[in-house]
Amino acid sequence: MLYDIGLKILHEYESPASGGRHLLRLMPADLPGEQRLVAGHLNIEPQPAERREGTDFFGNPTVEIAYRFPHDEIRFEVQARVERLAEAPVLNMSPCLGGLVREIGCVRSLGSEAPIHFTGRSDRVRLNAEMTAFARELVGPDMTVVDAVRAIGTGLHEAMRYDPEATTVETTAEEAFRRRHGVCQDYSHIMIACLRGIGIPAGYVSGFLRTIAPEGQARLEGADAMHAWVRAWCGVETGWIEFDPTNSMFVDTDHIVIARGRDYSDVAPVKGVLRSAGRQSTDHSVDVVPVAVSRKISAA
Amino acid sequence: MTGASLQQVRSFGTLLADYRPLPGVADELLDGAGAIRQAWLPLLDHLSRLSPAEMQRRFSRGDQYLRDAGVYFRQYGEGAVAERDWPLSHIPVLIAESEWRTIAAGLAQRADLLEAVVADLYGENRLVAEGHLPASLIATSPEWLRPLVGVRPPSGHFLHFLAFEIGRGPDGTWWVLGDRTQAPSGAGFALENRVATARIFSEVFRQANVHRLAGFFRSFREALMSLRGDDGSRAGILTPGPWNETYYEHAYIARYLGLMLLEGEDLTVENGRLMVRTVAGLQPISVLWRRLDASWADPLDLNETSQLGTPGLVGAIRQGNVAMVNALGAGVLETRALLAFLPRICDALLGARLAMPNIATWWCGQPTELAHVKANAAQMTIAPALSTGLPFESDDMLALGGEVCRDTPDPFECWLDENAAGVVGQEAVTLSTTPVYEGGRLVPRPMSLRIFLARTATGWQAMPGGFARIGGSNDATAIAMRQGGAVADVWVVGEGPVAEDTMLARPSDPYIRNQPAFLPSRSADNLYWLGRYVERTEGIMRLVRAYHGRLAETGDPSVPLIATIARHLECYGVELERGIPTALLQTLSAAVNSASKIRDRFSVDGWMALTDLDKTARRMANTVTAGDDAARAFSILLRKVTGFSGLVHENMYRFTGWRFLTIGRSLERAHAMAGMLAAFADPQAPEGGFDLAIEVGDSTMTHRRRYSVTTTRETVVDLLALDAMNPRSILYQLTVIRDQANLLPAAQVHGQMSALSRAMLKVHTDLALQTPETLDTAELLRIGGEIAALSEGLSADYMS
Repeated sequence: MLYDIGLKILHEYESPASGGRHLLRLMPADLPGEQRLVAGHLNIEPQPAERREGTDFFGNPTVEIAYRFPHDEIRFEVQARVERLAEAPVLNMSPCLGGLVREIGCVRSLGSEAPIHFTGRSDRVRLNAEMTAFARELVGPDMTVVDAVRAIGTGLHEAMRYDPEATTVETTAEEAFRRRHGVCQDYSHIMIACLRGIGIPAGYVSGFLRTIAPEGQARLEGADAMHAWVRAWCGVETGWIEFDPTNSMFVDTDHIVIARGRDYSDVAPVKGVLRSAGRQSTDHSVDVVPVAVSRKISAA
Repeated sequence: MTGASLQQVRSFGTLLADYRPLPGVADELLDGAGAIRQAWLPLLDHLSRLSPAEMQRRFSRGDQYLRDAGVYFRQYGEGAVAERDWPLSHIPVLIAESEWRTIAAGLAQRADLLEAVVADLYGENRLVAEGHLPASLIATSPEWLRPLVGVRPPSGHFLHFLAFEIGRGPDGTWWVLGDRTQAPSGAGFALENRVATARIFSEVFRQANVHRLAGFFRSFREALMSLRGDDGSRAGILTPGPWNETYYEHAYIARYLGLMLLEGEDLTVENGRLMVRTVAGLQPISVLWRRLDASWADPLDLNETSQLGTPGLVGAIRQGNVAMVNALGAGVLETRALLAFLPRICDALLGARLAMPNIATWWCGQPTELAHVKANAAQMTIAPALSTGLPFESDDMLALGGEVCRDTPDPFECWLDENAAGVVGQEAVTLSTTPVYEGGRLVPRPMSLRIFLARTATGWQAMPGGFARIGGSNDATAIAMRQGGAVADVWVVGEGPVAEDTMLARPSDPYIRNQPAFLPSRSADNLYWLGRYVERTEGIMRLVRAYHGRLAETGDPSVPLIATIARHLECYGVELERGIPTALLQTLSAAVNSASKIRDRFSVDGWMALTDLDKTARRMANTVTAGDDAARAFSILLRKVTGFSGLVHENMYRFTGWRFLTIGRSLERAHAMAGMLAAFADPQAPEGGFDLAIEVGDSTMTHRRRYSVTTTRETVVDLLALDAMNPRSILYQLTVIRDQANLLPAAQVHGQMSALSRAMLKVHTDLALQTPETLDTAELLRIGGEIAALSEGLSADYMS
């Protein structure tokens, strides 16, 4: 699938910030075999005093910007064309849950794909007895890891109520789980905690969803904003798979990846430190439109 | 070696009468055969000649030094912070030079090993790939910092300054108890212990061939300077700030080494370069000896909740523009479980055995090791694998000698099985004992040593001395040291004479002009406010004294003049029910607080004078009553304030910092005087107002001499506002402000006066052109407002 993606983020400050430094993860990723960034442009207003591109530990492209003059708003605008390649259907060659520990132990690597980074607690995900118990209810020791991921993702989707008003970016997974409501960020953090709680390495993916569903299908939740879902490691053979708990589905060509990490902290679209006194507000909008494939190809 | 005989032991009389090392425990004073170690003989000889009274006199000389220098021990209890006297055990620990050389060589090898390990963990990751280290141990450590993976330090080295905690086992050999690689503290305290101990035993210290410490610090300072490159950038010390428990040491060592003491907010990053915010604008800095734990160093790339860091610092490091001592992320080497793997890693990386072993450690993430720990739990301490605390410093022990010290949901054995990967077992270590003076005799007490190594031009150099911790009881298990005890100096005793040494360059060294020092904006801000607060304190005191003096005469607070003073004092938040008003104590606290943030720029005498004033005022607040009692108390306090001001203004070098202090004082004084004249020199002011103004303005004598008439509004305003010769007058203070401000950096911009200089000149001229007739109350209030506005201008130009 080919998409044209438009993202607009507006940060407004109550009293002008005298300066600031921000780390951005806004551009769709270029992932060989999964996704191709055909073209991408990030426009920032006002123009920052510094702008520097980089790559973080998990391989996500970053842009670091700095301001040294007073400003009371920043506008980020991404225009990108992305080709999302269809993933081969998941061949379930994953071990049963009981065998996963040994496979994790076999990976002698600290590379960014190594499952060991995605176990235990991270900044925004703490293992929690209630969530672990919830996950245990849904799986059995003989279940394969892929089936366990599906069972937990689906189970969570059934137990939770999607409510864009109920939580904020600062809501913890525990709190959202206790009230059984939230948005994609909460669903994803909860699912990660559930998976890690029973020993499945799990991470967080930020990205986009196509805005308008194909004819005859329902519109997906979270399509009008930046989206998030979960990746899980299913053994040496199967590797990483991705599941969207908000929509209860394995990730396919409707999902466009921006960044991957352990949780939201690793992939936050705009991280920043301001020299400012007042409060700030954020607004953002997303457009993900499939590009008609009926291009004129004048092959003579 | 001809060990001293039992005869010798007896010859030291009562001193050693009770000195009996514990069975199965090594001792520093006596060797394995019970003979006195050679290195101790001169000191023992000296001690045995001192009467108990003389000994006490000398000990108090050392304690007095530490108190005067402001060395204290900060203890964090439940919700409260207590400052205790520095617990110096006056008898140093003596180590023979030959033994010292073995220790230093062993630790230098270990330092090389740690460098190789940390380079691998942030580089190739061979140790994990080849199975020498489990990936999980590193990946789950909060000290392995992912943003630093793949970043090579510009100097080529991650580690530059290390500390090792070592102890001597029962068989007489030394063991490493823990490695300090993050931001080791204690070197400054070791220096202070040395100064105090050398004062106590000055004669024997000079004769006993004790190696000096200064050479070590000079080499380290040179090493820091050489990390800078040749771009004119600077080196500094990065501190978490005054709330840190070792802040005193940061300030002390910054003064000692002549380095800027910086906090995260003093720094900013511009185009990938690290800069210091100074009163002369942004200045480049490229070397930081950090005393701040790495995760707090940059809220953008590391802990996003940190208020102590500098956004963009990691980026500047990644671009190779900052040398960190030690590299961010080096703290991962303190992970306790690493001790289980280092012996084998040493073989693999250096092709050699560890010259000095570390305490035996088993990581329970492996089945064999877990079984071993369970079977031998009674002789072990069991603790979290990822903890970076030293065995006797941390409160996170899980089990000690078979006794569980933490509640677990399941029985401990089951809990251990569940959480094995997060747990290590460590052999319970027995330390050696060293003499401590108690009740006229020496008694053995357990001790461990902290030894410091610095990377210098000629390789690792060990500080010939160290920081000894002394246990409080005669329980020699390492863990018993947690109960706290004392600290002591460490003397490395040479066989022959040693070189005297100081931090000063040797005459043979090439002459180097020091770079001009820069004043960080935050320091300027604190100096400025220190000046203001101290002056405000004095102003309030004079007014309150005048109030109580008059109250004592009339006994009636409703007399118009007395009521007017009370109203005027309300502007300062002063309520007069108590003898010493709370607002006064608060202003003093603010002064002490400002001073505490600039200890590195402030003389010890100045600090003592200020804290003495503060303590005296607080003590008086409990007893002094309103009226005459208060008036007399204020006379005492006022003498103490003037003592402080005298020290500052007579003795302080006229560097930029002093100018800010002076401007702060003058601005406060000018502003307060304008307000006071508006209140008491107004034609409507109650009777006695003019005399009061003259009294509070400390100008009674001058007034009598200059004007042969009674006080009138004109004479008062002339003397206290317009007289350029009277240091109490507004005009005099505005002249001081104008003159000092003209000497500040950027007082001129492209040959023209800065906006601030113009504003200062304007207020000054406005006032100078007035006469007592034109300077009415409204004008006084207007001038007061303009003076206050100068403060904002200063703050915008220099202090933000």
